[in-house]
Amino acid sequence: MPRPIRLNAFDMNCVAHQSPGLWRHPDDRAADYRKLSYWTDLAQLLERGRFDGIFIADVLGIYDVYGGNRDATVRQGTQVPVNDPAMLVSAMAGVTEHLGFGLTASISFEHPYPFARRMSTLDHLTDGRVGWNVVTSYLDSGARNLGQVAQLTHDNRYDVADEYLEVCYKLWEGSWEDDAVLRDRESGVFSDPSKVHGIAHEGEFFSVPGIHLCEPSPQRSPVIYQAGASPRGRQFAAEHAEAVFTAAPTKEQLKEVVGDIRARMRAVGRDPYDARIYTLMTAIVDQTREKAWAKQSEFERFASDEGALVLFSGWMGIDLAEYDLDDPIGEVESNAIQSAVKAFQQADNDGREWKVRDIAAWGGVGGLGPRMVGSAAEVADQMQEWVEYSDVDGFNLAYAITPGTFVDLVEHLIPELQRRGVHPREYAPGTLRERLFGAGPRLPESHPGARYRRGQAALNLAAAA
Amino acid sequence: MSDRIPINAFDMSCIMHQSPGLWARPEDQSVRYKDLAYWTELAQLLERGKFDSLFIADVLGVYDTYQGSRDASVRRAMQIPVHDPVVPVSAMAAATEKLGFGITVSATYEQPYALARRFGTLDHLTGGRIAWNIVTSYLDGAARNLGMDKQMSHDDRYDLADEVVDVCYQLWEGSWEDDAVLEDREAQIYADPEKVHEIGHKGRFFSVPGIGLVEPSPQRTPVIWQAGTSSKGRAFAARHAEAVFTVAPTSQVLRTYVDDIRRVAALEGRDPRSLRIFTEVTTVVAPTDAEARAKYEDYLAWTDYEGALAFYAGITGIDLSQLDPHQPLEYVDTDSARFALEIFSKADPDKAWTPHEVAKFVGVGAMGPVIVGSPATVADELERWVEEADITGFNLAYAVTPGTFAEFIEHVIPELQRRGRYWEDYDEGTTLRERLFDQPGHNRVRDDHPAARYRRAAVPA
Repeated sequence: MPRPIRLNAFDMNCVAHQSPGLWRHPDDRAADYRKLSYWTDLAQLLERGRFDGIFIADVLGIYDVYGGNRDATVRQGTQVPVNDPAMLVSAMAGVTEHLGFGLTASISFEHPYPFARRMSTLDHLTDGRVGWNVVTSYLDSGARNLGQVAQLTHDNRYDVADEYLEVCYKLWEGSWEDDAVLRDRESGVFSDPSKVHGIAHEGEFFSVPGIHLCEPSPQRSPVIYQAGASPRGRQFAAEHAEAVFTAAPTKEQLKEVVGDIRARMRAVGRDPYDARIYTLMTAIVDQTREKAWAKQSEFERFASDEGALVLFSGWMGIDLAEYDLDDPIGEVESNAIQSAVKAFQQADNDGREWKVRDIAAWGGVGGLGPRMVGSAAEVADQMQEWVEYSDVDGFNLAYAITPGTFVDLVEHLIPELQRRGVHPREYAPGTLRERLFGAGPRLPESHPGARYRRGQAALNLAAAA
Repeated sequence: MSDRIPINAFDMSCIMHQSPGLWARPEDQSVRYKDLAYWTELAQLLERGKFDSLFIADVLGVYDTYQGSRDASVRRAMQIPVHDPVVPVSAMAAATEKLGFGITVSATYEQPYALARRFGTLDHLTGGRIAWNIVTSYLDGAARNLGMDKQMSHDDRYDLADEVVDVCYQLWEGSWEDDAVLEDREAQIYADPEKVHEIGHKGRFFSVPGIGLVEPSPQRTPVIWQAGTSSKGRAFAARHAEAVFTVAPTSQVLRTYVDDIRRVAALEGRDPRSLRIFTEVTTVVAPTDAEARAKYEDYLAWTDYEGALAFYAGITGIDLSQLDPHQPLEYVDTDSARFALEIFSKADPDKAWTPHEVAKFVGVGAMGPVIVGSPATVADELERWVEEADITGFNLAYAVTPGTFAEFIEHVIPELQRRGRYWEDYDEGTTLRERLFDQPGHNRVRDDHPAARYRRAAVPA
C-alpha cells in the first residue's frame, strides 16, 4: 500500500510571506490579510482539500539586516506589517469543522500563565483543533521592543523554553482532574474544588502557584509543533513536538534531517512516529505540465529580488545589500550562506557557480523551500518519491500567490493524490490530535506533558508504566 | 439621533458573571461559554436588537478571599473557569456587520508592543468595531501567578497602566503616517519607509524603540473604555477614557462619580461632555409589573449564597463567611461588617442589611441596580437614570443568558423606540467610534484626546 502524504498549508498574517513580490500579481490576495473574508475563504478552501491544517507563521519584529535598516523590508512588505495570528482562528473555526490551526507564538511574547489560558480558550472554541508552534527565537529587533536589551543566548533560550513548556503542561494537564467539572444544576455545584489543583510551580524563570483558569479542553495540551533547525532545536523537537516543520532543498538532505529527528525521539523514549514531520514546499500545479511551467515563469517575473534578499539576509544574519547581484557567492563571507547555497546548488544540479542574483531567484518564489512544478501527476510522483525516500510524513505547502496556489492544489493535485489512495477523501472524526495519529485526543503517555496528570488519569499512567 | 440611549450587552467568558447561582436554571446557557456558537448567536441577537456593542469583562485570577480559599469560587463557578475574552471576537465579527466589541485586557501584565499589535489586528479584522476596556488588575492571586510576589501598589498600577497605554498610542497613532501604505503594484512598493517612524519610547517601565507592526487600521486607536471607580481610577478614566463604565447602587451616588469624572476631564484639557458614561444595570422584564416581579422573585430563589458572598469578598476584600447569615451588620463590630454596611447603606439606608440580604442583593445583577417591571416601567427607570445621573447609556448585565437580552430586545427596545430614545436602525457609520459619538466619519480619537498628540500628519476631516 502506498504511503499516505499529509498536507499542511503555510501562511502568515502579512503581505509577503515566502514569495516576496508576488503580492503584485493581479490574482494575488495577500494584501487582503487584513480582512476576515480572506481567512475564512482560505480555511474553507483548505477544508475542501482535506488539509490537516493551516500553519500560521509569525515574527514579532522586523527584518533589518539587509541594508542595515528596515527600509527595504517596509517597502516590499516582507513580513511587515505583520498582524497577530491568534486573532484569526475563531473566525476560521466558525466556518469549518475539521481543519486544524497551527499557531506560532514565541515564548518571549508573554508570561505562560495568560498564554496557557489563551491556548485553552482556543482549544475549547475550536473543539480541539488547535496546535502551538513553539518558537524560542525571535528577531533582535523584536527583543529590543519587548524590553530586553539583547537576545538570550541560543542555548539559554531553550532552557527558558523547557521551563515555559513545563508550566504550560502543568496548567493544561495537571490542574483540573478529568472529573473535576460536575455541572450539577440540581445542587448548584459546578466543579469539585478538591479535584482542582494549584500547580505550585517554582522554577528558575517562573513562579506559578495557582490553578489553571480553564476547565479541561478537548485536547488539553494543544498539539505541539516545532520548527527549529539547529541541533538544539531538533533536540527540543524530539522531546516535545508532535508535528515538526523542516525545510530542505533536496530529498537526500531531507532524509538526513528526518532520520536525525526520529533517532533523537527514540533516544528520549518516544516512538519516532509520534511526531508528524512536514517539509516546506511550494508546489505549482496546473492541468498540464506546460501550463504549470508557464505559470512558474510568470511568477518569477513578479518575484522581488530585493524582497528575497531581505528575507535571506535576516535568516542568514548577513547583509547581502553589500554585494552586487552579479557577485559570485564565493565572495560572501558567511558560513550559513555558503552551506545553504551549497545545498541549493545540489538541488539546482547544473554545476555553474552561483551569484547573489541566484539566491534572490531561489528565494523569490517559496523562500527557503524547494519547488515542485508540473502537472498533477508529475507533482504527485515527486511527492511520493520524496515521502518514500526520506521518511517524511508530508508537506508544509507555501504559496506563490494566495489563494491561487492553494486553489490549484485543491483542483488538480488533491484529486490525483486521492485517486492514488495517498490522501483522504474524508476527514477522520475528532480533534486535530486524533486526526494526526488515529489515537485519543490527549497527549500520548510517552509524551513529557503526560507526567503532570492528576487523579485517575495519573493512576492510569502509572498502571501502564 | 442625539437623544438615543445606547445599550451595550455586558458578558464575560465564564459561567457565573453577575448573577451567582442562576447558571443552574434550566433555560440559562452560560455553561455554553466554551462553544463558539454561544458567542456568534449572542452577537447576532444583539445586532438584531441594534445594540452598540458587546462588552466582555475579564479577570486573570480567582476570587479567594471568602473563607480564605478559592474553593467556594471553584465550586460555584464564580468567574472561574474564565476564558480569554479576545479569542471569540473574530468569529463574532464574521457573523455580524455593525456590532462593536469591547474587550477587557489588564494593562498590568502586558507587553505594550505585543498588546498594540493584538488590538491593531482586531481593529482591521472587525473593520473598526473594537474597543479596549483598560483595567488594572486587582487580584493578588493573578499577580502571584505572573511572577510578582505581591500586587503592585494601587498608585503604581495606574502609573504602569499609563505608560502601557501611552506606548500603545504611539504605536497606533504615531508610527505609520496615513499615506504610508501605497500598495503600488507597478512600482513594487507596498509601503513608503520614509513615512513609517520609529517611536523611540524610553520610559520608566518600557523601552520600545521600533516601529508599529500594524499598518493603519480604521480607528487606529481602539475606542478606549475604562472601568474603575476609585479616585485614581477616575483620574485615569478622565485622562484616557472615551467611554467610562460605572457601577453604582443609585442614580444619586452615580451622579457624584459622573460629576467628578467630567470635572477631572476638564482639568485634563478634554471636553467633559465628550466623555460617554455608561452604567451597569440588570433588567427583569415581563408584560406587566406583577409578572416581572414574580419572575424576579423566582430568580432570587436560585441565588447562590456561597457564590454571591465569594464574589462579594473577592471584589471588596470583605469576607462575611464567619457571620450568622441573618445577623444585622450594624450589630457586628468588625471592619468587614462596617465596610459592607457602608456600601449597602448607599443602596438602601432603611434596610436591615444582613449577610443573607447582601447575598440576595448580589445574587441578581451583582453590585449594580436591578430594574424590574413592565416595558414601560423599565423604560421610565432607564430614562430617569439617564437624566438624574447625567449618563449616556447602559451596560446591560444578564440574570439569565441570553434570556435577559432577548426579553429586553423584545419588550424594552420597542418601548424606547416609541419614546424616541432608541434608534430604529444603525446609522451609516461603520466603526464603533462613529457610533459612540453619533457622528458618521468620526473614526479617529478626538483632537483633545491624549492619543492625538502622537499623530504625524493631519487626519482628513
